[in-house]
Amino acid sequence: MTSAIVMHGLTKDYGSGHGLFDLDLGVSEGEVFGFLGPNGAGKTTTIRLLMGVIHATSGTATVFGLDCDRDSVAVKREVGYLPGELPQFGGMRGSEVVAYLVAMRGGIDRSRVRELSERLELDLGRRFREYSRGNKQKLGLVLAFMHRPRLLILDEPTSGLDPLNQQTFHHLVGEVKAAGSTVFLSSHVLSEVEETCSRVGIIREGRLVSDMTMDKVHELRFHEVVIEFGGDVPEAAIRAAAGVEDVAVEGRRLTCTVHGGFDALLAAINGSTVLDMVSKEPSLESIFLSYYSK
Amino acid sequence: MSPRLLLRLHRIGLIAMAYFGIFYVLVNSAAFPLIAGKTRASQEAFGHSITVLGATFSWLLPLPVRPDTAAGYLQWRGYGFFAIAFAAWGLLSACGAVRRDEDRGLVESWLSSGIPRLRLLATRSLFFAGLSAEIVTLAGAAGWLGCLIGGTPVEVGGMVGESAALWALTLACFGVGLLVSQLVSDFRAAASAGSALLVLMFLLDSIGRSSVNRAPFSDISVFFLFNKSNAVAPGGTFDPTATVLLFVTAAVTTIVASLGFVRRDVGSGLIRTRPRRAADVHDASANPLLRIPIVRGLWIRRVGSLSWTAGMAVTAAAVVLLVNVTATFFATTPSLSLYLRGLPGDVHTVLLALIWLSFAQALVAIFAITCVSRWSGDDSSGVLEMQLAEPLPRWGVLGERAAELTVTVTVMSFAAMAVILALAPAEGISIDVGSMLSATALLVPFALTFAAAGALLAGWRPRVAVVVLSTVAVISYLVFELGPLFKWPDWANNLSVFQLYGTPLITPVFVGGLIAMLAIVVVGFGSAGVVLARRDVAA
Repeated sequence: MTSAIVMHGLTKDYGSGHGLFDLDLGVSEGEVFGFLGPNGAGKTTTIRLLMGVIHATSGTATVFGLDCDRDSVAVKREVGYLPGELPQFGGMRGSEVVAYLVAMRGGIDRSRVRELSERLELDLGRRFREYSRGNKQKLGLVLAFMHRPRLLILDEPTSGLDPLNQQTFHHLVGEVKAAGSTVFLSSHVLSEVEETCSRVGIIREGRLVSDMTMDKVHELRFHEVVIEFGGDVPEAAIRAAAGVEDVAVEGRRLTCTVHGGFDALLAAINGSTVLDMVSKEPSLESIFLSYYSK
Repeated sequence: MSPRLLLRLHRIGLIAMAYFGIFYVLVNSAAFPLIAGKTRASQEAFGHSITVLGATFSWLLPLPVRPDTAAGYLQWRGYGFFAIAFAAWGLLSACGAVRRDEDRGLVESWLSSGIPRLRLLATRSLFFAGLSAEIVTLAGAAGWLGCLIGGTPVEVGGMVGESAALWALTLACFGVGLLVSQLVSDFRAAASAGSALLVLMFLLDSIGRSSVNRAPFSDISVFFLFNKSNAVAPGGTFDPTATVLLFVTAAVTTIVASLGFVRRDVGSGLIRTRPRRAADVHDASANPLLRIPIVRGLWIRRVGSLSWTAGMAVTAAAVVLLVNVTATFFATTPSLSLYLRGLPGDVHTVLLALIWLSFAQALVAIFAITCVSRWSGDDSSGVLEMQLAEPLPRWGVLGERAAELTVTVTVMSFAAMAVILALAPAEGISIDVGSMLSATALLVPFALTFAAAGALLAGWRPRVAVVVLSTVAVISYLVFELGPLFKWPDWANNLSVFQLYGTPLITPVFVGGLIAMLAIVVVGFGSAGVVLARRDVAA
């Protein structure tokens, strides 16, 4: 599979430890890549480097083999972009904003604009300043998707959208993926990443801390286990069991987390009287929070 | 709401009024002995000329009182114009404080932080009151100092009284602006409605002043109340009742505006238009003008560009209609004949050249600065980032900006030229069309000179571009206007950018100046292109 995006040692140093540092990351064509991280982690900086809006301190970024800095005009022919926040277009109507920006690209697919604005239930006849936050976001999505780009770079695309329109967005991403396009999106919304992405990267303090497929993410899942014993708690055996962590005992009640299989834990409690045992699968959010807090 | 933030929100008005208020009165009062002469006889002759001129200008300014003195001249020339400038500042500041800050979401965020609405409006009003008091006081001090420098001191008491009246007028107009802004839902509508109201009040006062019969209701005009005082002029009076009425107007309009603000929804006005019942639109605009480079920008900014064009045409018409009376004034004022000495041609043509082209230069320079201000704003607001998200090279954005400005300045300048050519024969002014074409065409590279410097500044330091460029423009204009009067050396006069334009209506085109302007345009835009390509957008 060919690469849509390749970043090598990409660095944008704003000083005082802020920015993006030594990012090595590739996104294959046809992939939907989720870029996750807390506020100020460097997600938007990465996106703006890819768009050639800011210049890297060092390192390189390419899109379909084109240098994002040197060949930024050619790159943008292939890209649909949604910034983190749309600028103020004041009294211009939504239809005029679309026509104005699309003219800079050279052509317009009217049927696609109509299809997108209908699906997102966006009235393009209203003035930009009358739009709610959600409607501005929908306009941004129309602008990003309208020319059927090979690569979509979306900065927090569902921010401000209601659940129905979030669902529409997920369908749109599924459709463009099916059509062979690549999507690079940053997000805080884990359900969105879980639903739309095939791979995720986690960034913290300007550094990539993890890059894995969703299957791998699911493998990372662990279980929170609560056991109520009828007699003595075999605490020492449980603590020694492989894959068992965060053991806490309160009376005859023990809580722990179990990574991987349950065999070691079951062996450790073998022979003890177990009155009750509950195992819960944590949310994906808990998995990522454990990454962020490391 | 920190004072620093409030100061930042009022910065454009503050800079403009500080320049205008302080420099304008300082220069006019200090230059009085140079213009009117130092002997009593020459000052009386000058005063007589001003009285004649003042009668012609009575639709614009109150009749002069003792213009043979520095104080009387300052009253007429300084505080007469201040009424218009400070009223406009008060109105626009109020509209900006309500509608523009509401559009930006600032009002919503302040209110959501727990600030009561009444306190919010009271804070904004009190801050503006303090700010305007400072500017009015500084302007008064500058006038007093200017007269002192000119060797003709004025009474402090009169200056204080006139400053109080000016402050009251400014606050009254601020109150009017606050009130109008509660009625409508956007800045443009508020500024237009407020301006219309002020123009109406100005005309009520103006018609009453320049005709035998007073216009009905002229007493309710804030300008009428302000002009009841002329305390700076010797023998002039300070009308405390009229000034108190202005303060009362300010208080009442502010209180009513506050009640309106409490009652209305944030983001809308008390007057609500019926919602549009038309079906939803799901198509991109079919307007072909939005698809053509350069034309698309012109179309988006058509209202502003047409306003500028109309303003320039009206100014041109006013200049032509006043040339004859001005010629008489210049002929009877020895110091002013300095401007005309040695210049070839008919005195009317010479005056038209000097007055109109100096106005035209100032106007196109101001227009170029407003464009630079927008370019800087496009960077910080994210518009430039959206433009660059399309496959458009950075130099393309820069080129489109320059081309758009070129077209607008060309239309503005040639529209004004058409007005002059249409009106001049009726006023007995003969104009060589070829020279007029050259003079008008030269306004384009002149405006581009400011734009090129501004583009470079906006590319390098967007936040300071407008301040730096405005300072250069103001200093250049002052040097250009005052150099001959104060007999400054050539090297000092040549520091002014305005010198590069020459006097093309009465002398041949200044080729050296034209080459210098073109060089600045090429180097300025070229460097701006390099700087814009290298720097981070919105960083």
